[in-house]
Amino acid sequence: MRHTLQVFLYELRRNLRRRGYLLTTFGVPLLALALMFVLQRVNLSSADTANQIVDAMETAGIQRAGFIDESGLFTGAAAPAPYTDVLTEYASEDEARAAIDAGEIEGYYIIAADYMDSGRVRLALPRMSIIDVSEAPIEALILSVLTQDEDEDVVTRIFNPSNVQATNLSITNVQAGSAEESEDANFVLVYVFTIALMMSLFVTNGYLMQSVIEEKETRLIEILISTVRPIQLLAGKILAMGLLGLLQMLVWVGGIYLALRLVSGEGTDQALGILSSLATVQLPMDILPLLIVFFVLAYTLFAALYAIVGALSNSMREGPQYAVIFTMPAVIPLYFLAVFISEPGGGLAVALSLFPLTAPIAMTIRLLVSSVPTAQILLSLALLALTVVAAMWAAGRLFRVQTLLAGQLPKLREIPRLLRG
Amino acid sequence: MKQDTAIAANHISKNYGSFKAVDDLTFEIFRGEVFAMLGPNGAGKSTTIRMILDILKPDSGSIMVLGGPLDDARKDRIGYMPEERGLYRGVPVIEMMVYLGTLKGMSSSDANRQGMAYLERLDLADYAHKKVSELSKGMQQKVQFAVTVMHDPDLIIIDEPFSGLDPINTMVIKDLLLDFRSRGKAVVMSTHQMFQVEEMADRMLMINQGRQALYGNVDEVRRQYALPAVIIEGEGDWTVLAGVDRIEPGENGRGGTLLYLKPDTTPDAVLGEIAARPDMRIRRFELAVPNLNDIFIQVVEGTKQNV
Repeated sequence: MRHTLQVFLYELRRNLRRRGYLLTTFGVPLLALALMFVLQRVNLSSADTANQIVDAMETAGIQRAGFIDESGLFTGAAAPAPYTDVLTEYASEDEARAAIDAGEIEGYYIIAADYMDSGRVRLALPRMSIIDVSEAPIEALILSVLTQDEDEDVVTRIFNPSNVQATNLSITNVQAGSAEESEDANFVLVYVFTIALMMSLFVTNGYLMQSVIEEKETRLIEILISTVRPIQLLAGKILAMGLLGLLQMLVWVGGIYLALRLVSGEGTDQALGILSSLATVQLPMDILPLLIVFFVLAYTLFAALYAIVGALSNSMREGPQYAVIFTMPAVIPLYFLAVFISEPGGGLAVALSLFPLTAPIAMTIRLLVSSVPTAQILLSLALLALTVVAAMWAAGRLFRVQTLLAGQLPKLREIPRLLRG
Repeated sequence: MKQDTAIAANHISKNYGSFKAVDDLTFEIFRGEVFAMLGPNGAGKSTTIRMILDILKPDSGSIMVLGGPLDDARKDRIGYMPEERGLYRGVPVIEMMVYLGTLKGMSSSDANRQGMAYLERLDLADYAHKKVSELSKGMQQKVQFAVTVMHDPDLIIIDEPFSGLDPINTMVIKDLLLDFRSRGKAVVMSTHQMFQVEEMADRMLMINQGRQALYGNVDEVRRQYALPAVIIEGEGDWTVLAGVDRIEPGENGRGGTLLYLKPDTTPDAVLGEIAARPDMRIRRFELAVPNLNDIFIQVVEGTKQNV
């Protein structure tokens, strides 16, 4: 017990000061915070949709453009806000070119003579650039002229014909606010949460594997196991890395929550849309204990698997290559995130949330987006717990002298013998 | 088991599959002695050491260490430096020493104090807060030694204690080991450097192919292998001596002349004969006791021929 505690404290202290750990643990929420503030500054001035379009245009490149009307339909027309100052009419292409040369405009549109039949509008730019291409100013001008006799509401609908709102009937975690924003917020939340869970699992357990391989590679392992039993060494490391993983999750969740709270003020709601509504989405308290149980089981499972890889590998180069065998299946649910959101009770989602390697992330996603039948939760937990026990047993069997002191990777057929001892 | 026995191995054997790594070894190591464990590569030395340290379990036989079977408390009284050694490379020297010291039952403050004391003694105090990776190989070797002995163990087991050390550092480590011996500690060293064994070891065990080849007091073992000859340096025609059977040049032509004696003659009689002759002068006269290196080769080659 004394040795386990000493290994635990040492690994904890050592890894807490690891630059990589500090950077990922505190860097992620700091980055989120910085991003929120930037978004807030950009959007604070006005929530006006038109201004957002101008903003979008500015970011796309064109700030001032000219137009030449060969059809005669738009001559003398002024572009509606916000393009009033953006579009300037020129009588000929020569004039427009001169304006480009003088730096007054960045490009010009030519409305073809047969516009009413063909709808042809040519955009001339001084250089070829994809990001400079924008149709918004000329479309606004044309529409405003063509619809000048129409009712204002009709014009609004012509500009914005449909606001489609998809509703997922199985989603239970919808909060106050517009349904669309909440669903998007849910999507982001699920994505962020599962990515965080996965990163934490792999980062801290990656340290566990590194630490075992380092001791094997430097041969320090022989000195250690002349004093400490291999199983005590393993236990100390797993406990330390587990605490580090949990700490990392807490900092991330707390940091991102704080960042969202800080920016969710008046005036930013509309502009920030999804992001601001994220702040109003709460992790449902009733599933939180379940999420924690899944995290702990997932952590223990991957700790054992990574310890096995560490015990069998002989170099930092080998270890991560073999760890992929376990990490690849674990991340599969993320590839199907869209399927999980649209069909959280579908065959794929259920299968992935029962298979122990994919269950931690798959079940986390399902619990976040929908209500999961209790029987499935219990079955998933039971299968996961059994796998954890098996993996820990295997880790304990392999984390022994013959394997730790071996100078080369055992062959696949030797592993059953090593497991038997 | 005597009061001053540090290790008592009783008929220990260890097999790896069908390969007999250690075959029925019995030996004792006492406190206050330097004990050398010798043998060619793959003879079973490391396996024997690992069994002493309870890293490996013997298939048969028993081992008593520091008065009983090895438990956690007794493990704390052992300092072990394996042949293939290493340290945490990215960690400051003193921090790593404190960790390994506390694993041996020291308090952090004691480990820090003792660690610093050893670093000063080994001329490494300036490197206490540097990372191990910044140290030269020789410095790392000295740190490794400090880690092994900083908890003042009663039993020190070192595999190749002088590999990678220059002559000055070899002397420093040798003095430290002899100091431990004089303080009643048992020092076990496994080495291929035979002259170090001759210089330092009180007793020895030579293992060959897992079995005991030679065991006992180093001087006695050497005398067992003594030739019926003397080594002589000086002037004179040695062939005329009555007790001399034949003569051979000494080793590499530098070690004097080897005088093989007739079966009924003693070295004393030959020395007396030389002293009585005015035409002979001697600067060196000694029994032709082979060095351990020769004995080692003789034993190993002899076993090969027998096989």
